[in-house]
Amino acid sequence: MKRFRFLAGKLGWAAFTILFVLVLNFFLFRVLPGDPARAGVHDPRLKKDAIEAIRVRFGLDKPVINCFESLNPLKFGSCSVNPLETQFFIYVGNLFKGEMGISYHTNRPVSEILAERLWNTILLIGAGQILSIIIGVLFGLFAAWKARTSIDYGALIVSLVAWSLPTFWLGIILLFWGSNQGLPIGGKATPGLSSYPLLVQWGDIARHMFLPTLTYTIVYMGEYMLIMRSSLLDVLSEDYILTAKAKGLNTFQVLKDHALKNAMLPLVTVIAINLGFTVAGAVQIESVFSWPGLGLAIYEAVNRRDFPVLQGAFLLIAVAVILANLIAELMYSYLDPRVQTE
Amino acid sequence: MEAASTKTTEAQRQLAARFLDFWRVFRRNRMGLVGLAMLAVIVIVAVFAEVLAPYDATAPVDATAADVYRPPSAAHWLGTDDAGQDVFSNFIFGARVSLIVGFFAAFISVFIGGVLGIAAGFYGGRVENFLMRFTDVMLVIPDLPLMVVIVALTKPSLLNIIFVIGLLGWTTTARIVRSQTLAVKSRKFVLRARAIGAGNGHIIRHHILPLVMPILVVNAVLVVSLAILNESTLSFLGLGDPTALSWGQMLNYAFGRGAMSTGAWWALVAPGFGIVWVVLGLTLFGHGLEQVLNPRLEAHHLMKPRPIVRHEATGKPLLHERRGRVPDEAPILVEVKNLSISYISDGKPPARAVENVSFTLREGELMGLVGESGCGKTTLMLGLLRLLPAAGQIVDGEVWFSGRELTALTETEMEDVRWKGISIIFQGAMNALNPVRTVGDQIAEAIVKHNPLMKGAALEARVSELLDLVGISPEHKNHFPHQYSGGMRQRAMIAMALACNPQVVIADEPTTALDVMIQAQVLELLDSLRKKLGLSIIFVTHDLGVVAEMCDSVLVMYGGVTAEYSDVDTVYNLAKHPYTQELLKAFPDLTHPEKRLASIPGYPPRLDDLPAGCRFAPRCPVAFERCRVEAPAIHQLGEKHFASCHLVEENSLTTK
Amino acid sequence: MQDYFLEVQRLKKYFAAGRPGFFNRAREHVHAVDGVDLQLKRGEVIAMVGESGCGKSTLALTLMGLEEPTEGRIVFEAKEITHASEHDRKLLRQRIQMVFQDPYESLNPTQTIEEIVAEPLDVHGLTHGKAEREARVVKALEDAGLKPASTYLPRFPHQLSGGQRQRVVIAGALVLEPHLLIADEPVSMLDVSIRAEILNLLADLRQTRQISIILITHDLGTCGYFADRIAVMYLGRIVEIGPTGEVLSNPQHPYTKALLSVVPVPNPRLRRQRLILQGETPNPIHLPSGCRFHPRCPIAVERCRAEDPAYVTVGQSHLAACWEAGKQA
Repeated sequence: MKRFRFLAGKLGWAAFTILFVLVLNFFLFRVLPGDPARAGVHDPRLKKDAIEAIRVRFGLDKPVINCFESLNPLKFGSCSVNPLETQFFIYVGNLFKGEMGISYHTNRPVSEILAERLWNTILLIGAGQILSIIIGVLFGLFAAWKARTSIDYGALIVSLVAWSLPTFWLGIILLFWGSNQGLPIGGKATPGLSSYPLLVQWGDIARHMFLPTLTYTIVYMGEYMLIMRSSLLDVLSEDYILTAKAKGLNTFQVLKDHALKNAMLPLVTVIAINLGFTVAGAVQIESVFSWPGLGLAIYEAVNRRDFPVLQGAFLLIAVAVILANLIAELMYSYLDPRVQTE
Repeated sequence: MEAASTKTTEAQRQLAARFLDFWRVFRRNRMGLVGLAMLAVIVIVAVFAEVLAPYDATAPVDATAADVYRPPSAAHWLGTDDAGQDVFSNFIFGARVSLIVGFFAAFISVFIGGVLGIAAGFYGGRVENFLMRFTDVMLVIPDLPLMVVIVALTKPSLLNIIFVIGLLGWTTTARIVRSQTLAVKSRKFVLRARAIGAGNGHIIRHHILPLVMPILVVNAVLVVSLAILNESTLSFLGLGDPTALSWGQMLNYAFGRGAMSTGAWWALVAPGFGIVWVVLGLTLFGHGLEQVLNPRLEAHHLMKPRPIVRHEATGKPLLHERRGRVPDEAPILVEVKNLSISYISDGKPPARAVENVSFTLREGELMGLVGESGCGKTTLMLGLLRLLPAAGQIVDGEVWFSGRELTALTETEMEDVRWKGISIIFQGAMNALNPVRTVGDQIAEAIVKHNPLMKGAALEARVSELLDLVGISPEHKNHFPHQYSGGMRQRAMIAMALACNPQVVIADEPTTALDVMIQAQVLELLDSLRKKLGLSIIFVTHDLGVVAEMCDSVLVMYGGVTAEYSDVDTVYNLAKHPYTQELLKAFPDLTHPEKRLASIPGYPPRLDDLPAGCRFAPRCPVAFERCRVEAPAIHQLGEKHFASCHLVEENSLTTK
Repeated sequence: MQDYFLEVQRLKKYFAAGRPGFFNRAREHVHAVDGVDLQLKRGEVIAMVGESGCGKSTLALTLMGLEEPTEGRIVFEAKEITHASEHDRKLLRQRIQMVFQDPYESLNPTQTIEEIVAEPLDVHGLTHGKAEREARVVKALEDAGLKPASTYLPRFPHQLSGGQRQRVVIAGALVLEPHLLIADEPVSMLDVSIRAEILNLLADLRQTRQISIILITHDLGTCGYFADRIAVMYLGRIVEIGPTGEVLSNPQHPYTKALLSVVPVPNPRLRRQRLILQGETPNPIHLPSGCRFHPRCPIAVERCRAEDPAYVTVGQSHLAACWEAGKQA
């Protein structure tokens, strides 16, 4: 029962956050000067019937939402409108149908563009996160264990420097270096390899992934190391570590069986909180390396003022981060027995 | 009016004094100093840009194609950029833009985060719930994409960028400030302030803010660096203010306009270097601030122990060899001879926490180790097991346990002695048990370590048996420590201590934090186990009453040395050391409730500041001249009665 | 009917247990203080004794007005203060003061001793001019045994020892010249050799200033020798109350007897049979039926399960809430 309540609470919370993002997304793109619908309506590139199609699609002829005729909050409208006939619910309804509008630039449905790009971003962030967590945790472990030695200070300085690097700049520098080493400088795959065996294609993708993943790993490893170090320092000065030593366990056993899990717990929270920030890294890295993910989509959309794509990409990223956060929180509750039973 | 002005100058003087105190500590933090210096350099560069820059970056240039991307030269130290402008000059003016955005945006963030955090933490209830839920939502929404969206939809002016970064960057600050406010609010001095009648405003100003400030300052430094990074990222993505050339904007132009393909590394390296310089400076400064404002020991239980040395104790060996050992008593299990332990810290003389302590423990004996806080009793016990903290060092003496000298063993050999030979029950069972592992699992771990063959059903049965022994129903073995009550945890700790059938159990204040009735239950349990299993127990406590009721022999410690050591009856009825006598008078006795309690004037000595001569002399009612200059030797007064006091010298049985 | 300095009638303080959630509407209550009657004369010292969870600390906070009572009345100096207004409450603070358990925690580490002791004066705007303020701070510190006070004024709490800090806390309470002092475990965090001087200080204050003291403690040993009366609390209720000598020498409630029997006596020749209660204090959310002590009571009879005992007078102002009280003398 307790567990069910806990789960229901977390799920409900994630759903609420997603709703908040939906509302935010809806209003941002209508309140701010760059209103996509209006921009679309005024887009000189579009024909008259295309403009009309946009009007109908976004329901621009309809009231914004019940009781409000337009975005001016002081201008009340009728509250008895059919909610399904308002802009907001048409927007939400369209989203549920998977319809996010048409890209101004390519004239393709936004959902189609984003669908193929989502996986590339997940691939990049996944690989980068896993590597930076592993390396960060290991470095942090050593630094804390050997606290106040030159190993510790060295690891600390490296982490602080890594933390201070602007992601995109590190990407540019690595790109500069990589292009001289004959590494691919952009994209996800070399064109024209699709007839080759799968293994060759994967190898090609891996070669393309090398520099972006390296950039990602360097930038985020520093932070994980710092957190692991400080969390482990806390754990290692706890009384139960002394108990474990008094029981006769050796250093390795104490680290493995008593320190690691306890120290990882705060790290899981940080990883969850950090997911929002790691997306920032992906946007920058994808922009530098032309990695065809959501981040690049944002970069291109910004430079082409392609608002439907920007709106869709932001929504997708936000929802993905919220879900990933949910998973991290559930994982935490599974790892820490104190969460569910208290 | 006059009073008000003197009050402000007084306050200013105090503030200045506090700042000086802070600076004295901060000065010694190398990381923080380097960071501060890096920041100072870049702030000077930004302020005096007009003077320092060789070219005016704000003036339009008539550049020809030949001027574009010229490599570094005497005229252009860092070459020229895509518009033929001097990169070095742009770099200097760029510092100004980046710093302005960073500081102003961070100011907005820290202000909002600070106010929301304090409001949420202090007022609690609905306010907190609403604010924190809102913060949680904002925290989860990825901030950079949101910034991109907002700036893309509005005009990319410097002011807009400052506001967008500032208005979205407060979430972490709010969280940190809230949790710090909660922590401060729950402290007793806030309750005390309420009790004297202070209102919310007064409490926030005088009690919450001063303790939240250090953390807010450290966080502010971090927020500034994040804001600078965010500004450069936005500019790099093409959302910068085209009229204000920041470092990010420089990179955007260089990267977008062919610096890569022309190999113009200078146009890429210089602005990036600027960002790294500022952010690293801030990070180092922030790290240094944190170390100074929230100092932590950075010492832990797995650090390399200090080597054991002999005969480095500062005093001369004091215990004369004992004569007339009684042969018909039970065999001796533990014999500690002249054990001395010091705490070593940089730049200070060693703190002589334990000096020349000797005692013997026989089979089945229950010895009480009594003393006030800081008298070295816990250090002595940790020293026996060689579990001293990193700063602790055994500087002299021997510990004999079943034929082996423990200070001479290797670390691996010592691991075998621990728990199987001598186990220990720590004071706070809540902290001594690992919170994320079940109690049964932690008991089993000790068994398996010393008997790897025990597994499966036999192991389970043994764990159940042990829990049953201490009166815990075995079905609780799969529960976590936080699901136990305080008394149960201490019982579980006892079960764990008995897991490997040790010969000696050290109980280090096992009942201190417990209620009287639970305390009595635990003591009763220890006493019955001792009889049932024939255990030898060293019982560490500050409670003379408990010792009188349970123990066979008593070692009274004061300031790291033996005050008196004898059987329990002698200590309570024929105490010879003035400290023992005074301590007994200070202890309330229900059988004589009318007796006015005597108190010992003064305070126990600090181990890093011990008096010359006898350590008890400053508080001793009968001290004389000699006590202040010469530390007394330990004199044997009877079969098994020792006291270290000059006054008992004439009764000593020991030869001089 | 005698006029008491402080009179507490049927005082109750319940806390809601747990957070009200979406799924649990029906709220349960922690019965922290559950019907306490208490009278105190001017200059009298009463010790409230009990284990953790018996409600003694909540009682203290409720008397201080730091917690709002759920039911009952508190009359102080002939004026009802149960639900005093903000304004009255602030005036009351000058007359009722509190000393907390942990001298390490109850002093703000960023304030100097002078600021700490002067704070009550500043809050109530009691002094005019710097000289008067300092004079009162110095007097309070010296009354609390910190002499010469001037050497302590500019120091910070961390520069003082535990005993000195507790004296600063006491000085901070004395500076308002209260009539009633509530001392919540004032010595339990201190070393044995220091305890006596703090207790003696409190005893002297009571002599010289006629301050009434409510001493909250878990230790019968410490209260035994300077309280006029002892009240033993169990699960939110006073189970026995009477003159100190009476209660210590002739306890009537089985819980008092048990508590007395487990107080260690510092004399190895007096090892005696102890009456150790089994189990732990039940949680104060679901109180046992009848007498709240019956599940752990060694002499419980059938009646105890069903009926909550009323107070039985067993001697001169000595009451015990037990059906068996006064039967075996």
